[in-house]
Amino acid sequence: LANFCSRPQLVGTRASLQAPREDQRACILVDSREVTSGAEVISSLRAIHGFHVEVCPLNGCDYIVSNRMVVERRYHSEMANSLHKRKLIGQIQYLQNLFERICVIVEKDREKAGESSRIFKRTKSYDSLLTALISAGIRILFSSCQEETADLLKELSLVEQRKNVGIHVPTVVNSSKWEALQFYLSIPNISYITALNMCHQFSSVKKMTNSTAQEISMYARVTQEKADEIHRYIRCLFDVHMLPDALRPGRLRSPVSSAC
Amino acid sequence: MERAAPGGIDPVHVPFGHIVANEKWRGSELAQGMQGKIKLVFEDDLTPVDFYLSSRSCILFVTEAELVAGNSYRKRLVRVRNSSNLQGIVIVEKTQMSEQYFSAMQKFTVLDLGMVLLPVASQMEASCLIIQLVQEQVKEPSSNPFLRNKRAQISEPSLLRTVQQISGVGKVKAPLLLQKFPSIQQLSNASVRDLEPVVGQAAAQQIHTFFTQPR
Repeated sequence: LANFCSRPQLVGTRASLQAPREDQRACILVDSREVTSGAEVISSLRAIHGFHVEVCPLNGCDYIVSNRMVVERRYHSEMANSLHKRKLIGQIQYLQNLFERICVIVEKDREKAGESSRIFKRTKSYDSLLTALISAGIRILFSSCQEETADLLKELSLVEQRKNVGIHVPTVVNSSKWEALQFYLSIPNISYITALNMCHQFSSVKKMTNSTAQEISMYARVTQEKADEIHRYIRCLFDVHMLPDALRPGRLRSPVSSAC
Repeated sequence: MERAAPGGIDPVHVPFGHIVANEKWRGSELAQGMQGKIKLVFEDDLTPVDFYLSSRSCILFVTEAELVAGNSYRKRLVRVRNSSNLQGIVIVEKTQMSEQYFSAMQKFTVLDLGMVLLPVASQMEASCLIIQLVQEQVKEPSSNPFLRNKRAQISEPSLLRTVQQISGVGKVKAPLLLQKFPSIQQLSNASVRDLEPVVGQAAAQQIHTFFTQPR
């Protein structure tokens, strides 16, 4: 099982030397889809806990609470129903490609007006899902309502800040930065916060593309492994013959076929 | 009573597919739920642990009564947390009566100690869950969907998409550029004069500006 203790990192040691600025409030990034399904989570974070909550197009990552951690919010009924299982597994695997750490908050379903409270029968499918998540080192928290979920998100964010992996870049980008952000976001398996860090930490896109893996790790605030992956992608050589036919432009057919 | 140094926990040998249970659980609903499905070995002197799944992982069971009574369970949790080679999983009886204490307990267990916490409604549920935990431990790691190795992906479609994010470059110019400058790095270092023959003067200038402009 994964150990939750923070690993000493290049980034961490550098950041620990600077005291956090007084005016810098804790920040959490929220996926725009959560505005409809988790409105109370967002307003509790803002109103009760005084958090800076930025709604962004996170592509299905519910909450980003630090440079490395994503939080997936799920209703208990979704976890217990084996019909939803495959979809959930797919979602977690997607998040595993993007983030170093994942936390799932299992929230009690809301009771709709007029509906008698449903009693959940614990299923084998639910238990096996929980145990599989645990042995992959994915954290699980249980919440009774949206307000409690907000409280848990706050706690997670504070724990991450204490480990020097808090979000410390502006979350709003101007139009010139926005262009670069879209470029960084197109790198495979890169999270929104990593792309945002790149935007703010590299003085130009060219600076980023000529960086060593170690520099990428330091400025984008990612593990050495992830930095190597990004570094490889930036230097990998394009071969038009590896493109699926649908993407291959007509005029770029191989010389053999055009000779026919 | 304790043979080990204060805070220390003696290593316990657990045969494959067995559970070593604390003697105090003999005859309980929890133990009965597991018997027949898995082999239980009872042992004295396991405190603070309730069950061992292997020599490296154990279960601490916090009953409804313990949770309602106060914070005394914390001492047990901390002892296991402090033993360097033992992974503790905490199972807590979360019932209507103990529900109100659950939130504080979860914060302490998961956020402060970094341990795994699983709520159950009864001892019967706990026995099913523990059996599942044992099954998870004895099966091949590759059968866990969250532990599967990542497949290597072909980069070409992504490279096209990345190059298309540069202003002035669309579906037609992207593959032309990548055939001449086959990596993102090489493209970023191309001069306007290098780019001009491929995409024309205006686009060449735009691409160069995209890479070099201070952000």
